[in-house]
Amino acid sequence: MSSSRKHWHQMISNACFGLLPAIPYSSADTVACGGIAVSAKELEAAASPGSPIAFSQATFEIPCGCRTALIGANGSGKSTLLKVLAGLIPQVAGEVNVLGAPPKLGRSRIAYLAQKPSFNADVPLQLRRLVQMGTYPHHGWFEECQHSDTAVDRALERLGLLELSDRSVHSLSGGQLQRGLLARATVQGAEVLLLDEPFAALDQTSREIVEAFLFNTENNFTVVMATHDPADSQRFDRILELKNGRLTTKHACVGHDHRHA
Amino acid sequence: MLNLLLAPLSEDFFLRALLAIILCGISAACLGAYIISRRMAFISTALTHSILPGIVAAALIGVSLYLGAVVAALLTAAGVAWLSSRKGNSEDSAIGVMLSVMFALGIALMSVGHAWRDFTGLLFGSIVSVGTGDLVLIAATSLFVVLVLRILHKELELASFDEEYANLIGAKPSLLRAVLLVLIAIAAVASVRLVGALLTTALFVIPSATGIRLGKCLSEAMIWAAGFAIIGGATGLYLSYYVAGMPSGAAIVLCCAAPYFAVRVLKN
Repeated sequence: MSSSRKHWHQMISNACFGLLPAIPYSSADTVACGGIAVSAKELEAAASPGSPIAFSQATFEIPCGCRTALIGANGSGKSTLLKVLAGLIPQVAGEVNVLGAPPKLGRSRIAYLAQKPSFNADVPLQLRRLVQMGTYPHHGWFEECQHSDTAVDRALERLGLLELSDRSVHSLSGGQLQRGLLARATVQGAEVLLLDEPFAALDQTSREIVEAFLFNTENNFTVVMATHDPADSQRFDRILELKNGRLTTKHACVGHDHRHA
Repeated sequence: MLNLLLAPLSEDFFLRALLAIILCGISAACLGAYIISRRMAFISTALTHSILPGIVAAALIGVSLYLGAVVAALLTAAGVAWLSSRKGNSEDSAIGVMLSVMFALGIALMSVGHAWRDFTGLLFGSIVSVGTGDLVLIAATSLFVVLVLRILHKELELASFDEEYANLIGAKPSLLRAVLLVLIAIAAVASVRLVGALLTTALFVIPSATGIRLGKCLSEAMIWAAGFAIIGGATGLYLSYYVAGMPSGAAIVLCCAAPYFAVRVLKN
């Protein structure tokens, strides 16, 4: 976009803001997490309201910066737990806090990646725009994003997608798409990444890039990742296992990682 | 050749019709990009048909038919938004239900109120009889629709593409769906006057279905669609001007459809 057009857009949006109240749809929560990213006490949840309880009495804590694996058989409630943490479904009972506040929609500090992205294949969209969507929570209604090009480029580069940025989202492979979604979460500035089996659809190249990204200790986000693969679990700082409706924390590994207090 | 193009422009009715179809074409094309990509083509059919009870009621009470049409269309849009916001109710079935209910209501009202009259104008439209008042109304509607779409572009695009993410960041996709339905409702009512209830769907759907195959993103698709709508609309008008007995509505739709088939064949 040329600079004159940008200027024009800026003027229009300034005019809109003059007339209309600014309504950011993401809450600007700044509650300090106190070193604890996720804490749950006697948590009980079901896949959807009214369906059978997936797990109960789950009590656990995940420190900030901790890479946590969530393991368990199919149907053990891994996805349900992640959705509760993302604020997509309410818990049935118990208490849960993510970054010091109960989960709810509209918190840009938390990013959730579903097992299977439910995109509308009929909307033409380029990869760059997909990643740019991560800036929307910081713009709010009525405002086009304008100052985010460098952040978007950096995120694309870190996930090895820079040369694909003009490609249609629908022509990307599952792995490239998954990386695009991680790039979006990075641009969003998420401090907690909730990932539902991100490795399920990945080829070797994508897998290596994603692993390098997630386990890079320079990235100070917290990862909670549902996974099937036991080989994955070696790399995590903490493992939560869901089995028969109960959650157990394994391998809380004091000394395994400097990120743990 | 140039003379053939310029001659009709000296006639007031033709000039008004041309302006009307351009204005309607632009707003319909921009909305159409969302209609096509969200697979809501059925909604414009539903909205144009469901204005029947509104028009009959307005005729019975003696208020402006346009007002009746807008109220009925908005009621339908609200009904669709409300029905499809429930889990397990697809937009598709909600539209089907509302369409039949409103149409039946219109026929019932007509019979009970003995308001049988000639509604052919409603069915087929009469673009050549567009007056200055209609033109102002159409211009205001189009301007409003395009402005709202421009302001909410990134949210609407996001909600259409990835509803879950829109929900996660708090952008309220169901509210956006309702806004879109209201816009479609008022734009549909404005263009019913031009091309009629039967062909309004065509104006919403055909240029956008062409554009969406050519654009790399939604805004590009909209620009293509608006271009096809304007060219198709103008060509159709000229066609009906020069070919004796050619109805304008049908000519416009046929001229909009030609590029669709061309793109379909050429760009596989």
